[in-house]
Amino acid sequence: MLDKNAIGRASPPTLNEVEKGAIRRFAEAIGDYNPIYYDEEYARASGYPTIIAPPTFPASFHSAADLRELLGVGIKSLLHAEQGFDYERPIFAGDRIYVSTRVADVSERQGMSGKMDIAVIEDEGRDEEGNLVFRARRTLVVRASKETP
Amino acid sequence: MPARKLYFESIRVGDELPALAKAPVDRVQLSRYAGASGDYNPVHVDELYAKSVGMPSVYAPGMLVMGMLGQLISDWARGGQMRRYNVRFIKMVWPGDTVVCKGRVSNRHGTAGRYFVDIDLWAENQRGELVMKGGAQIQLFYSLEDENRQRSGQSPIVIEVPRESLAAAPATSTGGGSSEASAVDEEADERLTGASSKKTVPREKPAAKTATLPSAKKPKK
Repeated sequence: MLDKNAIGRASPPTLNEVEKGAIRRFAEAIGDYNPIYYDEEYARASGYPTIIAPPTFPASFHSAADLRELLGVGIKSLLHAEQGFDYERPIFAGDRIYVSTRVADVSERQGMSGKMDIAVIEDEGRDEEGNLVFRARRTLVVRASKETP
Repeated sequence: MPARKLYFESIRVGDELPALAKAPVDRVQLSRYAGASGDYNPVHVDELYAKSVGMPSVYAPGMLVMGMLGQLISDWARGGQMRRYNVRFIKMVWPGDTVVCKGRVSNRHGTAGRYFVDIDLWAENQRGELVMKGGAQIQLFYSLEDENRQRSGQSPIVIEVPRESLAAAPATSTGGGSSEASAVDEEADERLTGASSKKTVPREKPAAKTATLPSAKKPKK
């Protein structure tokens, strides 16, 4: 069972600078060649100030959080079960976004193969003025019954 | 020239998004995604490591597959603003697997000059097995005229559009990203244990691509 005291543990905001090259490489890795991620002119003609980032781009952001430390799980394996994003606006090349991470919930569930620990981790991205840009929510299964890999 | 944009007025509940078949996943793509995302978890890039922890090979990070399904949305909803996007990872995607992304409009509504559509989303592998499912909410201009007005600083076109939903649409995609970890269940657990015996039949087909009204039936899963 995960430590309930982990709920609320958080990392301080960490600056992420959104670079055009990083957006391009991220979109390429997905195999998504929508010019809105590559072509400044195209993006402006589409009504944006500059190129935008794909919706899952926040997955590439760093935060100061060490999840295993936040959760106190040592080297047990973490399985990503669910992911959600809420967006206030698109993420643009040139954005400076401060990302912080907090443990929103931990709980225990009965699965087909025994008990599972579930952790819900929330990330929040804010611009330099403090305006919310996105929220991300990860649900992780912490392998409880198996030997550590 | 930007592609033609999508406007709220032309979208109907039950509309299917054009399916997106991605190129087969290979290990080079897994390396590229690791580099681009900064996630170097060795189960995705180190074959020896993956085998040492009991996996048949490396496998794709869930976020890569979520990115593919995201492409389906952005390709379709050009000119729209994604407000919400949620998925559940159900089955692992292995090198050689082909991910096919699908979606369907499950809800539309508009109020106070803001117009939204909800989409049910899912991804299958080449065997038709469900690997991921989820939903998204997109905000759109009502029409080209609405966009032109707003871009020139005028007030939006205001048409009250009562909520129309697919009959018996599941609530999976409409929880505002804030539902508790309720959806973690046997399916995630199955993925956890690497079991692959449970075949998932491809999701139901909507009645017709041209379904115009909420009468479009959606059989329960």
